[in-house]
Amino acid sequence: MALIDVLLELTLVVVTMLVTATLVIVGPRNAVTALREFRWRLETCLLSFAALAVVLLLRWSTQDVVQRLERNVLRNNITSYLFEFDRALFGTDPVVVLQSFQTDVLTSFFVFIYIYGYAFLLLFPFVAYFALDEMEELSMLVLAFTANYAIGLLFYTLFIAFGPRNVDPLLFEGLLYEAFPQSRTLTNEINQNTNVFPSLHTSLAMTVFFLAWVTREKYPVWVPVSGFLAISVSLSTMYLGIHWFADVVAGTLLALVSVYIGVNYTIDGIVASARRFFGARFESPNTDKE
Amino acid sequence: MEDVAPSTTRRGLLAGGGVAAVSSLAGCFDRLWSQAETPGPDQISMSIKAVPADDDPIAATIASRLRENYSDAGIDASHEPVAKAELYRDVLLEGEYDVFVARHPGYDDPDDLYGLLHSRFVGEQGWQNPFRFTELAADNHLETQREATEDDRPAELVELLDHLLQSVPFTAVAHPYRITGARESFEVPSPPRDALGYVELCAHAANGPRDGPLEVGVFGEGLTERLNPLAVDRNRIEGLLDLLYDPLARRIDGSYVPWLAESAEWDEGGGLRARITLREGLEWHDGEPIDADDVAFTFELIEDTSLGEVEGGIPAPRFRGQQTLVESTDVVDSRTIELYFVNTTRAVAARALTIPLFPEHIWAERSELLTDRQTVAVTDDNENPVGSGLFAFADASTDEEVVLEPFDAHALRGTSDRPSVLEGFSRFEGIRFQVAPNSGAMRDLLIDGDIDVTASEIPPGSVEEIRDASDVSTTMETTDAFYMVGFNSQHAELGNPNFRRVCARLIDRQHVVSEIFEGFATQAKGTPSLVGIHDDAWEYDDDEFADPDPDILSFPGTDGSVDTSQSQPLFQDIGYNYDGGQLLK
Repeated sequence: MALIDVLLELTLVVVTMLVTATLVIVGPRNAVTALREFRWRLETCLLSFAALAVVLLLRWSTQDVVQRLERNVLRNNITSYLFEFDRALFGTDPVVVLQSFQTDVLTSFFVFIYIYGYAFLLLFPFVAYFALDEMEELSMLVLAFTANYAIGLLFYTLFIAFGPRNVDPLLFEGLLYEAFPQSRTLTNEINQNTNVFPSLHTSLAMTVFFLAWVTREKYPVWVPVSGFLAISVSLSTMYLGIHWFADVVAGTLLALVSVYIGVNYTIDGIVASARRFFGARFESPNTDKE
Repeated sequence: MEDVAPSTTRRGLLAGGGVAAVSSLAGCFDRLWSQAETPGPDQISMSIKAVPADDDPIAATIASRLRENYSDAGIDASHEPVAKAELYRDVLLEGEYDVFVARHPGYDDPDDLYGLLHSRFVGEQGWQNPFRFTELAADNHLETQREATEDDRPAELVELLDHLLQSVPFTAVAHPYRITGARESFEVPSPPRDALGYVELCAHAANGPRDGPLEVGVFGEGLTERLNPLAVDRNRIEGLLDLLYDPLARRIDGSYVPWLAESAEWDEGGGLRARITLREGLEWHDGEPIDADDVAFTFELIEDTSLGEVEGGIPAPRFRGQQTLVESTDVVDSRTIELYFVNTTRAVAARALTIPLFPEHIWAERSELLTDRQTVAVTDDNENPVGSGLFAFADASTDEEVVLEPFDAHALRGTSDRPSVLEGFSRFEGIRFQVAPNSGAMRDLLIDGDIDVTASEIPPGSVEEIRDASDVSTTMETTDAFYMVGFNSQHAELGNPNFRRVCARLIDRQHVVSEIFEGFATQAKGTPSLVGIHDDAWEYDDDEFADPDPDILSFPGTDGSVDTSQSQPLFQDIGYNYDGGQLLK
């Protein structure tokens, strides 16, 4: 299956999930109203989206440079530390323990969660928060995602680490690519196999869950749904042999930090204070001259 | 009295306690001081580098088992997966490793060991002595087998291998089977890993004919990045550069067949030399003529990629073993060149003719220095490789494919006077390599009918699935390739041959073959195979090895797991000590 087929299937499944969830959780009336008044809503959080776009663009455009920096200059390979951390914490390999419950049904479930469930989990909050009367929550979400990517990118540059499946495929099975090798064409477009610490799958999923908790009054049903999905995504990354337990812990911490940033700061605030900071710097010599 | 007694007792107690405290403190300080001044021995630590399972599941698993066994034996061992290109850089260019596990393509001739192990290459980069191994005795053996007459050489080789079995600069684990998947209707005479494999595939009467290219499946990261035959620090498609760059002669079934050379006249009187005549009308892929100057230039370039610019030279990281056989060259005319060899025999000297030729008009300017010890020749991406092979480079504009087109001006196309392997060649219009992201995706390309044949190694775990699929088949054959565990002789402990020998024992080769290879490999057992020469390929049966059935590298344990009651005495016997299960320096 070529990349295009994989993408098409992904889109079809995720759109179906999104439509269903929108009808159930948001309600058709709210959705229609939101669509009708899309202009002011978009205008309100334009800056936040611009920030996210900048970070994503940066990530995409600097992939080659970052890889070279990561692998040829910084060269901090921490794989063996992650392996030792997991063992020291549990006395055994948590990934092996998880994989010992392996059945075909469970594997299918986790593959589904890892790819489709994850995509749905990330996209649905955009729809849900867009349908609210204020754009505060949507800005929070976008800023938290931006923080996730920005900090994640920094970690991926600083550290090289391979996941369990790459260390010993007999001990830790690479279930995802065994069950669904084509998914590699998809994940290859977005990621490299050295980007393991922290788990961005976990951090983004947990970010959605934590924000669901913050906004529990608006969408009470979304809290248990996102909680189930987020925990399943975290487990799937280990069950499928892609991440260490240490990556999942780091991912959860990253989610907490990102949500903290999302809730307590706004892009406008950050831009304004940055402008003040640089403004003060650049203007002071001028005032001296005058 | 009664009033006083307790007070004196208290005072006595205090005094006594004070003295005791001070003296015990003093004792404590003494100990601290002596510990600080002469620290006790630390645990021996080693890191094991190998590619991740995405690149090679076998190497990754062997490294992981090795880590486990070393840990059990009391060594502080860690396993560090590194991507293929970085592994080659760490091991071959920078010597930054303790132990590595890698797949070696195998030797053409036992003389390959000369380049791999001779101490004259210790300061050089690439596959020239990556172990930083320096032993006078080994140098001696490596030299005498080069110089020995054809009759004496087997005995010299036996001595060399016997020595290496004791000294273990590296150790072989197993020779994998080469598994190739192909369309049901296809015949795969030999697996496509080098130019000859592709030639035979394209020439076989059962395959094609087709107006389109032969569709070949490969997998891996960065395969299309650097098409430079001199570079070693890159992942590459096996055989691709061999197809693009032709040598003077190719080794076919053990004998050297003139390729770009029309003939080679050998003269053994007064030093070995060969007069090489090139075929008529040879051309590079860009239309420039190939002449004897290009041949001379190739030897010059490999000896010193700076072409005399730097004092002491910057040798190429590959082909040095072969190039050092040639002492000097003398261009007679545009089609004729004399090669003067070092003190050696014809059988060994002919290896120098298998180096691919480099076009002077392109590579001469690459002698420019990039850094103090690097020239452009070694680091250039060589984006549009201009070679002399039967196929010319057409396109690699995406990461997903490399296209080769037939090179019609090649001297061996459209003539009947050519090596017999070329009979029927070619039934395809070029070759197209489709690069899959992993082995599973390559397998799917085959099963879906998108490719004719696979060229990257199929992991043992995938064989069953391909066999079960319809319209595809697998072929399997033994190879010269082998998995090696390499030791860095400059590591504090690994510099000791006795220590290396015990480390080389700590992998259960039988278990590796049955569990990791799932039986698709031959265990390294006899003296030749433990040094990397397939036991079945050892042609010289007349001379006996010192220990025909060596158990010098037998595994101290069972079913892949080390038995510490067996492994600890091995280290203790060679002068090492244990403390609480930890092996000390």
